[in-house]
Amino acid sequence: MSVAAPTDVSGPRLNLPDFCAARAVLAVALICELTAVVLTLARTGPTAQLWMDLARTSLFLLWIGLGCAALLCALRHYLGRLSLPLASGVALGAMVAVVAAVSEVSLWMAHGAWFGAPRSALSAAGEAWRFRLGNLAIGAVVAALALRYFHVSGEWRRNVELQARARVHALQARIRPHFLFNSMNTIAALTRSNPAQAEEAVQDLADLFRATLNDQRQHITLAEELEVARTYERIEKLRMGERLKVIWEVADLPATAEVPSLLLQPLLENAIHHGIEPRPGGGVVTVSGVLDADLIGITVRNPLPEANEPAREGHRLALANIRERMELMYAGRARVETGRQGDEYVVRLRFPRIDATTRPPA
Amino acid sequence: MSARILIVDDEAPARERLRALVESGPLGEVVGEAANGEEALRLAGGLTPDVVLLDVRMPGMNGLEVARHMALLPAPPAIVFTTAYDAYAVEAFEAEAVGYLLKPVRTERLAAALERAARLASPALDRLAGREGQAAARTHIGVRRRDGVHLVPLTEVLYFSADQKYTTLRHSGGSELIEDSLRALEEEFGSRFVRVHRNALVQRHCIAGLERDDAGQYHVVLRGAPERLAVSRRLVGELREQLRI
Repeated sequence: MSVAAPTDVSGPRLNLPDFCAARAVLAVALICELTAVVLTLARTGPTAQLWMDLARTSLFLLWIGLGCAALLCALRHYLGRLSLPLASGVALGAMVAVVAAVSEVSLWMAHGAWFGAPRSALSAAGEAWRFRLGNLAIGAVVAALALRYFHVSGEWRRNVELQARARVHALQARIRPHFLFNSMNTIAALTRSNPAQAEEAVQDLADLFRATLNDQRQHITLAEELEVARTYERIEKLRMGERLKVIWEVADLPATAEVPSLLLQPLLENAIHHGIEPRPGGGVVTVSGVLDADLIGITVRNPLPEANEPAREGHRLALANIRERMELMYAGRARVETGRQGDEYVVRLRFPRIDATTRPPA
Repeated sequence: MSARILIVDDEAPARERLRALVESGPLGEVVGEAANGEEALRLAGGLTPDVVLLDVRMPGMNGLEVARHMALLPAPPAIVFTTAYDAYAVEAFEAEAVGYLLKPVRTERLAAALERAARLASPALDRLAGREGQAAARTHIGVRRRDGVHLVPLTEVLYFSADQKYTTLRHSGGSELIEDSLRALEEEFGSRFVRVHRNALVQRHCIAGLERDDAGQYHVVLRGAPERLAVSRRLVGELREQLRI
């Protein structure tokens, strides 16, 4: 298979806030301070010892918090290059190391009885080890929770962005003004010569625009999407006549499978716009589909424009749009491959079958 | 006024509608319809229409190129471009004061355009074609004939040569006199043709090799024609470099 590999092969990355930024450092300091207040209140209660205990705990936690922030800030480029599990491990290790280091320093200071720590409490060897191990365990659990939280909230933010962008792209990429005005012109001609056909063309155009502009649903069934693509084909066929031929080999496709709306129609539009329109003699577009276990494969092929014809631009937008929306729906389990195969241009989609009935109704 | 009109559009419904519009009033008479640029030029030579309604966007030869070739006709027709939507083209037409109609065409606009239908000078068309960016280079070279314009596909051209007055186009079947200057041709087709001498521009893939005679003069050996073309001394190095690639 000579189809080019998909461009995005990188796996998921660890999402961390930018700990070099003042905002994040302030947030870390605040969280440490609040935690210190909670711990002190729980441990000593509102007694005379409260302020001393709070000062010590705050100092200890702030060192840990700011140390972790500084280390993650310094490591951010390095972490960005690692895979998700590896980066999580390294970040966790770094934070536990900071806890260990700060614990050691506080032990050392306790020996010197700075801050008036009761000498007996931490100087006993057994107490010191309990202090170290306890801190490490707490540090590891809190660091793991924090990493998980950062990652999930980062993913969520990325998804929201992706979704918003996909919507905007869907609107921009869908309406080729050329198509709209050409269709209007065709209908104007048919109104005189063949009113019945003109009426049908107006209905087709309305259906197509409804699918493009109005449909609030993100997903539709494959059968519906195929119908939208066929509607589009009918309109183009009125205009281009014998020059356009579309072969549908889609009997194997599961009609009830859910797909992002406008998955196929833009591909057909691209194939006609770039492959058929520039050729004086026209050509054939083939849409074929297979179902392999629970994997759906759809292929759209069109002839390449002849060598001395200027290439038309602009098919990347629609493809990028489809890639994004498939990523949103199938999260890493879908592939979009494009490339030349002999004298044809081929777009191949592959995605898992998700049936409408297996999902709760939206 | 009854103009004799030729309709050129690759889409049958678009042609049909223009014909219906013209025939619905006293605007003129449709003398022919063409579905592509080459057919349009062939018909224009024989039918000598007054006005050509010419679609800008057609497969193969686009409307701007057709218009440039039509300017070579003994009686060049007035050109009115039609386009469904070309933000860019419309802007260019306005700048060059060229007649154009937006599809679907309104009867009153068509009437106004046919009335105005001023002869479009070829320099304006050349400028227009130049601004059209990707479509700047023609796909054919037009040769003026008594009965119309004969088109030579660019792919069949072996070389262009010039003496003081004329530019000659040599193709596999013979040679023709054309109106374009060598300098303009080089500018337009610089990517496919290579200058070998002050007076010759050769299609790159038609060069079979270089030959040196007893006097030390280099000549280009052609694929598809027996004659040799002199290579000017200062271009020998550059040419060798290019042919190696």
